[in-house]
This record gives sequence, C-alpha cells and structure tokens, in this order.
Amino acid sequence: MYNSPMRTLAAILLGRAVSYLTKLFRFGGGSAAPGLFALKIDPGLVAKLSQRIPKNIIITGTNGKTTTARMLAHFTKANGLKVIRNHTGSNLERGIASTLISHYTLNPRPYTLDLGIWELDEAAFNAVAPKLNPDIIVFLNVFRDQLDRYGEIDTVVKHWCQTLKNIPTKTQVLINGDDANILKLASCFKGKVQKFGVKDYKILGESIGHLKEKGDLDFEAKNVKLNGLNGSSFSLSFNRQSSVIRLPVPGIYHIYDALAALACATHLNLPVCRLSNALKTFSPAFGRVEKLPFGYIFLIKNPAGAIQVFETLAPNIKPEDRLLLALNDNIADGTDVSWIWDGEFEKCRVQSAKCRVFVSGSRAYDLAVRLKYAEFNPKQIIVEPDLEKAFKQARVGLKGRLFILPTYTAMLELQSILTKSGLKKQYWEEEN
Amino acid sequence: MTIMKLIIGYLYGDLMNIYGDTGNIIALKKRAEWRGIGVKVKNISAGDKLKKGDVDIFFFGGGQDQIQELVAKDMGESGKGKVIKKEIARGVPLLAICGGYQLLGDFYNLHKGPKLPGIGLFPAYTLASRDRMIGNIVIESMFGRLAGFENHSGKTYLRKGLPLGMVIKGFGNNGKDQTEGCIYKNAIGCYMHGSLLPKNPKLADWLLKKALEVKYGKKVDLKPLNDTLELQARRQVFKKLKCG
Repeated sequence: MYNSPMRTLAAILLGRAVSYLTKLFRFGGGSAAPGLFALKIDPGLVAKLSQRIPKNIIITGTNGKTTTARMLAHFTKANGLKVIRNHTGSNLERGIASTLISHYTLNPRPYTLDLGIWELDEAAFNAVAPKLNPDIIVFLNVFRDQLDRYGEIDTVVKHWCQTLKNIPTKTQVLINGDDANILKLASCFKGKVQKFGVKDYKILGESIGHLKEKGDLDFEAKNVKLNGLNGSSFSLSFNRQSSVIRLPVPGIYHIYDALAALACATHLNLPVCRLSNALKTFSPAFGRVEKLPFGYIFLIKNPAGAIQVFETLAPNIKPEDRLLLALNDNIADGTDVSWIWDGEFEKCRVQSAKCRVFVSGSRAYDLAVRLKYAEFNPKQIIVEPDLEKAFKQARVGLKGRLFILPTYTAMLELQSILTKSGLKKQYWEEEN
Repeated sequence: MTIMKLIIGYLYGDLMNIYGDTGNIIALKKRAEWRGIGVKVKNISAGDKLKKGDVDIFFFGGGQDQIQELVAKDMGESGKGKVIKKEIARGVPLLAICGGYQLLGDFYNLHKGPKLPGIGLFPAYTLASRDRMIGNIVIESMFGRLAGFENHSGKTYLRKGLPLGMVIKGFGNNGKDQTEGCIYKNAIGCYMHGSLLPKNPKLADWLLKKALEVKYGKKVDLKPLNDTLELQARRQVFKKLKCG
C-alpha cells in the first residue's frame, strides 16, 4: 500500500479533484466535501498539514465563532500576516482538512503562511484540537444549542475539560470570564488561562444556583455604549493599559467576540491602536448581521443567540419595518425546534399593528404558533413555508426595512435566493 | 359569574427546564387567560415547602442528569413527593416531561451512579441505556393524535396502568413495546418535547378543565378557541413523518 507521504499526497490530490468538480458543477460550496474524501485516504491529514503553519489559533463555543475568527483574520491581515482560515460554517474536521488542502503547496519552504485561524464546532473540538497543536485556544461561551446533537451542556464542558488535560501547557487558553460554565475550564488546564469579559455583565448560562464571583478579568470591556444598529464602543483594559474600541457591529454579544479577537491579537504582539483602527473597516460574515439594501439579516440558532438578537433589534424597529422569520429543522439547524419556546420572542413583539411579520421555513407553523403565544396579533402574522415566496411577499409594498431572522440552513437558502436576484455574490466567492 | 383563577406549580422550574418545556407553561397560561381565567405561575424548587391546595396544575420538565440527582433527593427529603402524590390522588392534574416523568416513577437507574428513587406516582421505572432515542414522534391517544419530539436514552417500562398512548412513529417509552408515556388519574408523564401542549391544544384544555373542576368542585366548560394554527403545526409533523 502507500507509504505515508504518498498517502498524504494521494489524499490531497483527491481533495483537489473533488473541489474542482464541485465548483465546476456548482454543487454546494466545496467547503467540506474535499476534506471528507481526503480524510478517508489519510486520516492523519490535519495534523500533518497544520504542522507546516508556524502558529495556529482555535476558536470554539456555541455562538460567535465565525465573527471572532473573522475579526481576528481582519486584524492580522491588516498587519501584513498571511492567514489561512476555514470557510464559514465548515467547522468540523473535514472543513479544516478542505482548507488545508486548498492551500497546500508542494514546496514547504519558505512558509507561505504565518497563521492558521480555526473555528471548531463544540463537539468536533475534542478530536481535532490536539491534531492542530494550537498556540492559542479561545472558549467563547456554551449555551443550549442543537440538543438533538450535543445532548447536555454539562457533557460538552466535561469533554472540553478532558481534552484540555491533554493539551500541552505551553498553549495559551483564553476563556469568557462571564460565562459560569466556561469558567469551570480554568481548573482543567495546567497552563496559562486568561479571562475576557464585560464589566458588570453576567451571562445567564445554564448553570444552577448562584453565579460565581467574577474575579479579575485579564481583558475587560468598560464603559460600554450601544449605538443602535450601527455598532458600539467600549474601553478595553488589559495589562494596565486602556484603549477606546469602536465596533461597527451592534449588540453586546459582538463585544465578546471583539474581546476574544483582541486578546488573541495581543498575544501575537500586534499593537492595540492598529487593531482599533482596523476595526473601522470590519464587516461581519454573511447572515450574522448582514446589511442589505433593503434591510438586515440576523442569524438565530438557539435561545441565547435569539434573545441577544431580539434585544439588539427591538428598540430599533419602526412601524413601517417588517420581519421575516424562517425556521428550518434540517440537521445543521437542529432537528428539535423546541428551543423556540425558550427564545423570548415576546421581546420582538412589534408595537404597531401595521407591522407585518412573515413566518417561513420547514417548521413555519411551529414558529407561527410561538408568535401567537407571544401575543403577536394573529392578523399581523403571514405564514408561507416556501422561503422564496415569503421573501418576495415580504418586499411587496415595503416602505421601511425588512429584518430577516433565519436559522442556519434558511440563511443559506436566502443567500442563493439573493444571488439569483443579483443581490449578493455566491458565498463561496466571498473573500475570507 | 366569579372570575376563576389557577395556580400553575412549576416543579423545579429553575433547575429543570432545558428542552423548551417552558412552552407548556406558556400554552397553559395563555389558553387560560384567553378565556378570562387568571393565572399565576409558582416556581417550587429545592428548599421550598408545598402543601395541599397550593397548586392547581403541576408541571415538571426535563433536566440534566446531575440536576436530576439533586432534585430526586430534595423531593424525598422535603416531603414534596408525598404531598404531590396526595394531590394527584384527589384529582389535581399534572404534566411531566422526560426527566420529570422519570423522577415521578418508581426509580431511575442512571448510567454511572446510584439508583435514583422516584416518588412512585407512576407505576413505571426507567433504566439507562446506550441508545439515544431522538426524533419527531406521533402517538395515538385518548386526546387524538399527538405530535412531539423525543430525546432520551432512558428507557421507561410500565409495571401496570395505562400509557398516554401508542406510538405510530418514533420510539416512545422504550422503543420496544410501542407505548409512550403514562397516565394515572389526571397525571400524565411522557417523553414528548416540542413543546407538547402548543401543538396539542386538546390536551392543554383537558388539563385546564380538570384543574378548574377539582378547584371549584363543579363541571366546567371551556369556551372553544381558534386552534387553526396549532393544528396546522401538528399536521406539518404528521406530513413530515408520513402518517396522514
């Protein structure tokens, strides 16, 4: 059979072939299929190829991985670093493998890359993190999400804890000090752990009883000022320094993402004033907070994320605006839609009876029932499971903005609907 | 006519509420309020006392294994378990989902660890297993066809008594005997999330009706509500599982 380097090469070639074919026939984004096939030939692919990258950073958690990774990529590229990053939403081992394959060059010297930024899914983290031999690991948060896939929060944290026990102590671990469940990880790792968080703010996670005393944060956001849908500003404190940071994306939840990205960047010795400048040109990934000519898209995927979106949106909705909510129950969305009953849709209830709310997706009726019990006026609610039809209807006679709140695969559908009408590039053409 | 009021007792609602089961409380509350019935929701948790007449409908949701141990202990030590049994015996209705259902049976044998004693309300016991029973579920019951979503590895076996219904699609109590849930007097336990009551309004109304009849000692007829949306949502699940 193949000896080791041949096996790896064969895997890479197969991956490249799959990638070419999927792009040729426009079949999916090609962001996971190449890796899936390549790993069948060489299961050790990720460890072997990531070794050639001088520094690797892993980002995991329930919400915010993509935004954090994107912010970090933005900073580092603005400082001239050559970065490799797995494609949006491709955060399982095959996604990592696909990315490594697409950047592979036969000549290993000189290194053409400086840094690998890897988003890892909460469950995949345990198998894949050790293979990447990371310099930094970020734990953003843990919330109930896709209960049909992950099971319980305690189990997720327990597995992370177990994995951390086997990570070399030279790795720098960064944890969200405001999330009581994430704090538990500090005692699982014998190396350096630093905490980031927002002053006077506590995330009500899934832990029981009393929230622990926060203790000192190594990276702290103070004097937070929220600026509607336009963004926010805060003063970043670390190492006894203080800098003002302005974010062009709204909501407190994005401040956590920014803190994590900034903390990583300081460990890469990038000057903070340059980071703060770089943020001015930052734009979020598709669907996370996507601004369109006629409105916004805000991805929702679990109660915590949904509540954060509602709290950001609610004060900014005007009577002439409209809402389009889309609930799918495909595997990537989570097949159990019970979570919508933990999402506080009441917060999104629109005052004026004139505001139309469109409800779509494969479980549109479940969502409509949720809204009915959230005391939305039934006359306001229009149910149309077909997303393309719902999107068209929602724009007929639209005088204000259209806020679209889709779950993950509904967001992907929306992307192709927008592309068909010439409004958005195909997502796999979007630059990292 | 006197204005009727109901108190919903949310058993360990701060500890056991991780699968969207709070939706059942929302459904009961709204359906009562839309009929002019006042509703208060009381959280009855570890350290709280419970006495006869405190609660008109009990609700008990699902939780993580670690919490279930804590709760099982508290139910025994605080005497709440005994009071709940007495209340059910005199007809007070109850709905328990997943973890709540398991803890109201004879016992629950966890994966690694002790045999958790239940309060012996339902004539059923639960054994841990390695199978994960996950997916949309449809059952036939005295309340018609019910649709929900199950997610459990515990397998529940009825020693005697009646199941809530028979499984048409899905696993149910244990994936073997086609039963799902258990009904004893006006107490119902089952594995169905979804949440259960929003898509199955007939069951929600039955619980409300029983609660009012026991509380006010007379027959109660609830004004019918427009359940078109709820039934469409339920039908969407039937279509998905191809069971008409």
